[in-house]
Amino acid sequence: MSARTDFSRDKAFLIDMTKCTGCRGCQVACKQWNQLKAENTTFFTGEGYQNPPAMSEHTFTRIKFRDYQKNGQNEFAFYKEMCMHCNDPACASVCPVGAFQKTAEGPVVYLDDKCIGCRFCMIACPFGVPKYEWSKAFPLVRKCTGCYSRVQEGLKPACATTCPTAITYGPREEMIKEAERRLAAHPDRYLQKVYGKEEAGGTSVIYLTALPFDELGFKPVTMRALPSYTWQALRLVPGIFLTVGGTLSAVSWFQHRKEKVKQAETESKGAACCAAAEAAETSKEDHQ
Amino acid sequence: MTAARYVLHEIQSYHRFIKFLIFLVALAAVGSTIRFIFGLGATTNLNDTYPWGLWISFDVVTAVPLAAGAFTIGVVAHIFHIKKLEPLVRPAIVTGFLGYSLVCVGLMLDLGQPHRGIYVLFPWNWNVHSPMFEVSMCVMAYTTVLFLEFLHPVSERFGWHIPLRLLRNLQIPFAILAAMISTLHQSTLGTFFLIAVDKLHPLWYNPLLPLQFWLSAIFTGLSIVILEASLVHRFMGQPNESDLLATLTRIIPWVMGCYMMVKLVALLTFSEGALFDRPVLTTLFVVEVAVGLLLPFWMFLQSRIRTDKSMQLRAASLVIFGLVLNRFNVSMFGMIQPGQQIYAPNVLESVVTVGIIAAHILFFVLMAKYFPIFEHHPEAVDATIPDTFRRVGKEELKAIPVTVLPDP
Repeated sequence: MSARTDFSRDKAFLIDMTKCTGCRGCQVACKQWNQLKAENTTFFTGEGYQNPPAMSEHTFTRIKFRDYQKNGQNEFAFYKEMCMHCNDPACASVCPVGAFQKTAEGPVVYLDDKCIGCRFCMIACPFGVPKYEWSKAFPLVRKCTGCYSRVQEGLKPACATTCPTAITYGPREEMIKEAERRLAAHPDRYLQKVYGKEEAGGTSVIYLTALPFDELGFKPVTMRALPSYTWQALRLVPGIFLTVGGTLSAVSWFQHRKEKVKQAETESKGAACCAAAEAAETSKEDHQ
Repeated sequence: MTAARYVLHEIQSYHRFIKFLIFLVALAAVGSTIRFIFGLGATTNLNDTYPWGLWISFDVVTAVPLAAGAFTIGVVAHIFHIKKLEPLVRPAIVTGFLGYSLVCVGLMLDLGQPHRGIYVLFPWNWNVHSPMFEVSMCVMAYTTVLFLEFLHPVSERFGWHIPLRLLRNLQIPFAILAAMISTLHQSTLGTFFLIAVDKLHPLWYNPLLPLQFWLSAIFTGLSIVILEASLVHRFMGQPNESDLLATLTRIIPWVMGCYMMVKLVALLTFSEGALFDRPVLTTLFVVEVAVGLLLPFWMFLQSRIRTDKSMQLRAASLVIFGLVLNRFNVSMFGMIQPGQQIYAPNVLESVVTVGIIAAHILFFVLMAKYFPIFEHHPEAVDATIPDTFRRVGKEELKAIPVTVLPDP
């Protein structure tokens, strides 16, 4: 859970999928800037024209293709898959060593020198972004860095720089305003929704599309920030710890006290039992 | 040289079942070596769709509640002070200690960077928002507590009087601490899956999951004690404890009842989305509830079954089956999305997990062989009685039967 509540000045991507031509310059730029290996793939092993078939340790972003019919014409729709750089990232909240951080500039970065490799981030991420170096003996997680090193120097991320048409990069507040302006100006061209404004508690990647989001392969996600789901249980931890400890201590004290009282009662029952008690005592000692 | 011969001679004298267990553990050791040479991708069927597989679902998520016997019996015997249950405590602590140690081993195999596991302890890395952080801290702390409790029979074996006195005074604080730590991490294992909001099927996903994990760990822990005591009676020539176990079988249905109520409330009021839309998951759920919950619950309510030694074992086994299925449903089956490729562990993964289970039984048997974990010390329960061990003289100590290594 992030301490910040205001994300309006975070740098965000506005990705207008209706303007995407599917040139995949972003994929290439991403590989170049991050020095990622090429993948040996076979065409059509995935769902459609897209290649590689999925994001991986070597592919941080990818254009997904979807062909559909419009007015009897075959058309393509695209979707750029990448890290969503959530305002309150699930990966950062579940990491036991804090290897994920939401930076003040906006990108969610992964500190690979901290990671212990538990892969909880991969379970937690609602967008399936963190990928693992499965081929290595001591693997690490890989994911889109939001080109944090470029952003720190005042540059735009590699994919946003390369994209000739679809990606705008700037403060989140302004990107949302721009998205809403476009929706209002061309209601016929867009589905009336800004994806990323509320999804997973708000993200720094904002999409506009013409087709319904699920048809493009966007995952259905909750509108609540994910860390709040686990925090509502975890915040009770200190209280439960002390309650259990206190209750059991009290029970233990009470039970032992009960027995001591009982013992004292039997002992005070008078001289009549004295001999018997003594006999019992001796036998006990013998036993020892 | 002679030491090696002693060991070899000793191993040769073992029962062939123990030798078979040693073989299984050796296989798992080979599998682990392969994992560290060729990586997780080459040795397991894990991939980016299934970052967690058998090693997490069984070796961690299931093994932790299966090792809950130590803390539950500790609470019942030491805190609620039901003294007659004392003979059950020590074997349960050994089972728990082994269980948690092997959880750590399993986790080390599964971690990508096992040598960095220690990073969790460094305060500058602490992330209190992470359920994994909490569980790792608790597991480390509790394994330490179990180790200290396990030192009890070890100290008796070697006649270490001062540690013994100390441990004896710490018995109740340790039992309380064990329950505190266990409550946290048993429930937090459920919190793990609260983050999988749109991934885990609504049959299992609900905000009460941590409470359910905790309650099911309690009654499973007690069932494990029944299983362990029954098997030890059957195969290791220990006395029949079914009278003592009948006390446990009177406690279990209460906890199971609470669990079932929480599960029902959670399902009816807190679950979101279609519950019975996927036949396979529905079947798994029905089997889990009917065979692993309702049936043993009913069995434990029958006084005839509750007190019968073989029926106790059967009912306890059903409870354990139900828990294993529940943890797999939550951590594996329920997480599979429709249309997704199905994960199944490969041979190597399975060999390692089988080896871990075998190691548990093997080490238990060996500990029972060399340490006094079954010797009943009813007088050792009462903390008001002065420490007898301090008064044991050298001569008397020699008279205490200890396993002597035979001459080669």
